[in-house]
Amino acid sequence: MLKIKNLKVAIEEKEILRGINLEVKPGEVHAIMGPNGSGKSTLANVLAGREEYEVTEGSILYQGQDLLEMEVDERAQAGIFLAFQYPVEIPGVSTANFLKSTVNAVRKAQGREELNAAQMLRLLREKIRMVGMDEKLLQRSLNEGFSGGEKKRSEMLQMALLEPKLAILDETDSGLDIDALRIVSEAVNQLRSPDRAFIIVTHYQRLLNYIVPDFVHVLYNGRIVKSGDKSLALQLEEQGYDWIKEEADSVAAV
Amino acid sequence: MSTIVQDRYTDARARFQMLFETRQNRPGSQGSQVLEQYQRKAIGLLETVNFPTRRDEEWKYTSVNRLLQPDYEVGESLPLSKADIGPFLIPGLDCHLFVFVNGIFQESLSDTGSLPAGLTAMDIAGALADEQARPAAEAALNRLLDGKTDAFKLLNAAFSQHGLFIRAARNAAVEKPLYLLHLSASGDKASFHNHMNLVAAEPNSELSVIEGFFELPASEGAYFHNQYTYFHAGDNAHIHHYRLQREGREGFLVSNVEIEQEGGSTYASYALDLGGRLVRNNLRTRLNAPGTTTNYWGAYFAKGEQHIDNHTFIDHAVPHCVSNELYKGIITDRASGVFNGKVLVRKDAQKTNAFQQNNSLVLSDKASMDTKPELEIFADDVRCSHGATIGQLDEGAVFYLRSRGLPDAEARAMLQHAFLAEAAENMKLEAVRLYAEQLVHSKFGE
Repeated sequence: MLKIKNLKVAIEEKEILRGINLEVKPGEVHAIMGPNGSGKSTLANVLAGREEYEVTEGSILYQGQDLLEMEVDERAQAGIFLAFQYPVEIPGVSTANFLKSTVNAVRKAQGREELNAAQMLRLLREKIRMVGMDEKLLQRSLNEGFSGGEKKRSEMLQMALLEPKLAILDETDSGLDIDALRIVSEAVNQLRSPDRAFIIVTHYQRLLNYIVPDFVHVLYNGRIVKSGDKSLALQLEEQGYDWIKEEADSVAAV
Repeated sequence: MSTIVQDRYTDARARFQMLFETRQNRPGSQGSQVLEQYQRKAIGLLETVNFPTRRDEEWKYTSVNRLLQPDYEVGESLPLSKADIGPFLIPGLDCHLFVFVNGIFQESLSDTGSLPAGLTAMDIAGALADEQARPAAEAALNRLLDGKTDAFKLLNAAFSQHGLFIRAARNAAVEKPLYLLHLSASGDKASFHNHMNLVAAEPNSELSVIEGFFELPASEGAYFHNQYTYFHAGDNAHIHHYRLQREGREGFLVSNVEIEQEGGSTYASYALDLGGRLVRNNLRTRLNAPGTTTNYWGAYFAKGEQHIDNHTFIDHAVPHCVSNELYKGIITDRASGVFNGKVLVRKDAQKTNAFQQNNSLVLSDKASMDTKPELEIFADDVRCSHGATIGQLDEGAVFYLRSRGLPDAEARAMLQHAFLAEAAENMKLEAVRLYAEQLVHSKFGE
């Protein structure tokens, strides 16, 4: 589904990713972990198509297509979803209207029939229940004045509605209390399916108590320096990142 | 040595004077000698004032040169059917409808029968002959001609053919709004349309007036619509005034709206400016007694070569009054916009609360916006604030919307809509608000 080869990315001439290799197959859940400043969020944002980042080398294939040639909205229409670390507050755009527009924009692009008002309402109700969001938020401006937890639920609701093939969660767990963490992980677990993949970017292991990953990758200094299964996450939880840094630095020194 | 500055627009003035003398079918006076006298007085006074130039501070950002170039003829009526005016009616709005085409009242297209007790609506000639209406009508005309005036107001007074006098009687809560629909079309020559409203809301009355300004579909050339509306809000009267404007690509619009408010009264203006080649709106309120509320909500959207200028003025002459003002707009392509919001808080106007905000999005390199908050405060115990911003769309928000699958153009349109919506959402009549949103929506499609 996703093949990242030797990806190098810079922002304002500073190299942040220095050769990432990663393959994600349908149905898999990959966790990307790493200390602050290791490039985790950069990877997530490059996948979603943020333009400030300059890809200096390497390639990303998504379902056989050159992802880097696709516009932001084309990526979303092709089934890529990024749950934002800091969802943008948009005054004046009602959450309900926004959700309806995105669902139908994606359906239209995928050649599927757009939903009518009644179908849309049914779908909205179903997914709202799934993520445990307060229906009143639909009438409010998108993300405006939402609490941290409400913003995350709103992101999960969008993910549930758009039914992506590849969902990327960028530090979605940051700032969440245990209840909100449960909401996020329940949403992800309910959406797990053999044809859908997840990339979960997180600093902490605790989200992975709820979402059990198939692979854990540790990013440090712009490279994946270690990959393993879920036990690697536990090891990081116990021992922190220092041993990884030392290991990586000694390899780099040689 | 002294320099005499020649009026730059002497020729234009002479043409208007000529037009007044030679205008065909004279029912301009509505058959009223009294009105005729006022009209003659107005054209006489035109000799004493100059058309504004950009040397005038009030007209620094707007040149009337283009507007004064054409050799105008007085607009004529057109044979329109009810179907023709359908697109300009407000769906779901039960109203008293007054239709004007090129400034000429269209009785067959209007719905003015069975006005409720407490509401008077008649032509100004009629009002001048009506014992009850005359004092208010005369006072308003004298105010217009004797006070501080300008060339456009005088032209209006001279040329208005079917001016309206509207009165809400003491204690009357007029249930249905009045919709004054002005449709314009250019003729073989550029045409000149004038309309005057004199509105008196007596004490404790409530009244909603909607003015619509639209170009008829077949029209293409230049025309000039010159509007004057005067409101007098008596003690505790409440006036809601809507202006929806989508003049034509070559349409010129000058609108002067003047309000005087007595104690405890409310005046609210809800304005939407979408059309016109050159638009100048003057909205001026004078507060005569304490306890008043004045709200100005405005939205504008200029594309192509449009120029839209909103000049507002609130004169806090007395204490304990509140004014709120929010104007928001979008300027794109090679269009230009002006906002000049003057708030005067006189020495005695203690305990004044006056708030003003103007926000504009300027979306192209060739578009421009001049904004000028003008607060003059001579009292010391007041709460006043103003803010003005000129900016672009938040690219972070654009990215967010696009990352959910909305195409770039759609994402930008959604944000622009949201930006304008704030100024329109104050409209109290839902049918009008929805119609205004629809007008904005179609503007995006242009």
